[in-house]
Amino acid sequence: MTLLDVRDLSVRYEPKASRPLDAVQGVTFSIEPGEFVGLIGESGSGKTTLGTAVLRLLQRPGRISGGSIEFNGTDITDLPEDELRSLRWRDLSTVFQSSMNSLNPVVRVEGQFRDAIEQHSSLRGEAVTRRIRELFDMVIIDPKFMTAFPHELSGGMRQRVNLALALALDPKFILLDEPTTGLDVVVQHSILENVRRLQAEQGFAVLFISHDIGTVLDLSDRILVMYAGRIVEDQSAGALLREPLHPYTKGLLGSYGDPRDEIVKITYVPGRPPDLSRSMVGCSFAPRCPERIQVCLEEDPPLVPLNGGRAACHVAVLQRAEDGAETFGEPKRGFEGPQFVKTADESRSALTNEVVLSVENVSKVFERRRGLTVTRTQAVSDVSFELRRGEVTALVGQSGSGKSTLAKMITGVETPTQGRIVFHGPDGDRLVSGFKGRALRAYRSDVQMVFQDPYSSINPAKRLGYVLSRPLVNYQGLKGEELRERVKELLERVALTPAERFINRYGYELSGGQRQRVIIAKALAVEPEIIVADEPISSLDVSIRAEILELLNDLVKENDVSILYITHDLLSARMLSDEVIVLNGGKVVEKGPTLGVIRAPKDDYTRSLLDAIPNPF
Amino acid sequence: MMNANTTPVPTPGEDFMAAGEAGQELAVEQVSDAETPDRWWQVIWSSRKARVGVIILAIYVLVAVFAPLIAPHDPLDGSFEPLAGPSSTNWLGTTTSGQDIASQLIYGTRISLLVGLFGGLFATVIATVIGLISGYAEGTLLDDGLSFLTNVFLVIPVFPLIITLVAYSEVRGLWLIVGVVAITSWAGAARAKRSQIITLRNRDFVTAAKFSGEGTWRIVFREIMPNMSSLVLASFVGAATGAIAAEAGLAALGLGDSRSVSWGTMLYQSNAQGAIAQGLWLWVFVPGLVLAILMTATTFINFGVDLLSNPHLREDA
Repeated sequence: MTLLDVRDLSVRYEPKASRPLDAVQGVTFSIEPGEFVGLIGESGSGKTTLGTAVLRLLQRPGRISGGSIEFNGTDITDLPEDELRSLRWRDLSTVFQSSMNSLNPVVRVEGQFRDAIEQHSSLRGEAVTRRIRELFDMVIIDPKFMTAFPHELSGGMRQRVNLALALALDPKFILLDEPTTGLDVVVQHSILENVRRLQAEQGFAVLFISHDIGTVLDLSDRILVMYAGRIVEDQSAGALLREPLHPYTKGLLGSYGDPRDEIVKITYVPGRPPDLSRSMVGCSFAPRCPERIQVCLEEDPPLVPLNGGRAACHVAVLQRAEDGAETFGEPKRGFEGPQFVKTADESRSALTNEVVLSVENVSKVFERRRGLTVTRTQAVSDVSFELRRGEVTALVGQSGSGKSTLAKMITGVETPTQGRIVFHGPDGDRLVSGFKGRALRAYRSDVQMVFQDPYSSINPAKRLGYVLSRPLVNYQGLKGEELRERVKELLERVALTPAERFINRYGYELSGGQRQRVIIAKALAVEPEIIVADEPISSLDVSIRAEILELLNDLVKENDVSILYITHDLLSARMLSDEVIVLNGGKVVEKGPTLGVIRAPKDDYTRSLLDAIPNPF
Repeated sequence: MMNANTTPVPTPGEDFMAAGEAGQELAVEQVSDAETPDRWWQVIWSSRKARVGVIILAIYVLVAVFAPLIAPHDPLDGSFEPLAGPSSTNWLGTTTSGQDIASQLIYGTRISLLVGLFGGLFATVIATVIGLISGYAEGTLLDDGLSFLTNVFLVIPVFPLIITLVAYSEVRGLWLIVGVVAITSWAGAARAKRSQIITLRNRDFVTAAKFSGEGTWRIVFREIMPNMSSLVLASFVGAATGAIAAEAGLAALGLGDSRSVSWGTMLYQSNAQGAIAQGLWLWVFVPGLVLAILMTATTFINFGVDLLSNPHLREDA
């Protein structure tokens, strides 16, 4: 019997102040007992809304506006809260996105388990403790942490605790909503393996929501692809990989490549998803689709059975119809959109350029004084490398590896405890060490930064024109018409065209990728020698990451800018950098030309980072 | 019917979103459609309570501005029959010295609103400057100094201080009251702003502003402050309400400007002339009532201001 049966489900948000929005539109799918189903889509596609609707956890102004949800034979679409309560956690449980916030900070971990277990079962006292111990073993956490408060656990451990909590009552169904977002790659990898192993052992069904098709393909039996509030493709993982039906799925698949190849090509889906508060004619993906034909702009494609799965695409259906291949061409596997290609040759020449920044045996020790005791933390120890003109060096490591501290020292905010950093600028050599005031300001005309989170690095109260004009005013003293022209030039340089359209907008009106372009344009305004890019793509959707990488790559080629690219992701390091430095615990564990390091990693840590890259191919 | 040739077939690798392409038009169009969130006045207006408050306040402002046109008599003109009851000449009757109560009430609106406006404004300016600077410099000596000052002003018993200051001053003008109210009432708001800026100053956009070469003043007041405008507005409304109450309180104790007419001085006069003992209820009751209504209105407006900082409340408004 089908465990979860969702029919024609629609969710509508009706905020008082703005237009209503159909976040989920007529979605139909089912999950069998013990099935592991992945749900992918970019941010804003409605996947989280769908997940919360299935759990009946929607909050105002959202509500289920149509369709039904049947769980284990019971229709729960309109079930009263009291009856839902007995169902929740016992049969349906979930692990939320933010591991940091979903545990009560003032209750010990054990207490939170005890609450859930005693509410829904007859276990009491010692039996509950035994069960909790068992659960901790399951997710590989030392049971001594049972009496800990949530803040005493690391992010990865907290998410494991959340997973154990979700499993506490042997539920039939678990919703995992991006359970590992924000965690380190290596931790992420081990948690997901844990999930998959437990699922195989215990046979619960999973709906796994993620924007990352790589991890979803690794784990799931079947995959639902969501775009603009609808399911556009539903296939088994194997079939989806072999023969993706919808062009959007092809676009998502195209965002992965094998970093070991001599030539790596990754594609991206340009543009942004449609505004769901407006009515649409034709296929919602058509504006971004390289395969579209006339009918796509006129008729909305229904989700129809195709190739053993389901797909909502005119082209895919027509191509597979009898004689269809003659008129509409053979079905294509790849995404025919823009792509970013990196060959190994490009890197070789860059490594002979002159040096712009040398880091010589740099160490950093942080001292924290608490009363009379001083705790010392060695954040960086004895790191040396050189950054050359027109070259990209990647600093790779997980959080706590010292890469951010190193970036702070290079941008002149922190002073190295030992060793020195020398900037070989146009006005001669300069020793970089904890600049203050005017010196720091002057140094920043040569060294700029691109931030991790494009959503918080543009002032929400300012228009883009203002944001971009400030460095020009401060460093070049431009004003009036000249300033305006230069701002437009910057916008066009990062392909935000026509510039007039963007100059008076606020940051929040743009997509993540567009915002990151603005940040890059801002960094370019002062014509710097070095750009420090701190995980510039990690908070972007997988489908548009290549777009930003390509832009950065073009800047290096055209402007002789050097980029220090800080990341935890070796695939993007391969796409962008010429040289890679792997940091672990503040020490350099491996260093060399990117392709060489990736093909023949010498250090175990580099190997574990490589293993953690989801590789669906 | 359908023809694949109607759409240009993109060659792999080529940027099919290049300028001039129909697809790009469509994609960019979606950007320019992005909704601008409501402006702050629209948000405030969307709350029913705040709407009531704004309407009442608007009526008070109109009365204050057009007082000479609305008031039937000069408020200090003592030529009427003393202690007359309500009539068509004296709508609310007269005082013991033969002045028209209705006219005094109408002119009194001016003082209350002026004190509210300027007292609130000055208190907010002091609170904003001290709170923002001390919060932005958190952990430094400057912050320690400013926080100490704020704490001192927080623990001072405000009303006795106001009374002492006013009682010993040479002149008893409107501006003295405004000044005294402002310097005694900024501390709480400064503390709130200090904690708010501590959460904002580590946002990436602040670091980004530093990288574009902005100075500290500009970062604090041009980059960060616009992001806490709802807090500034709420504290202004709060401070204005407090200032109106303080002025009325002082005047009712006889510490107001004896030459001007305000609701506070009306209360003082009525009390001094034994209005309650004589059963002149209107004289006592009406100034207190208009004062209470005005303060209720400003409090209602602050419900609307709350919606600015907490969008979740907007759905329940």
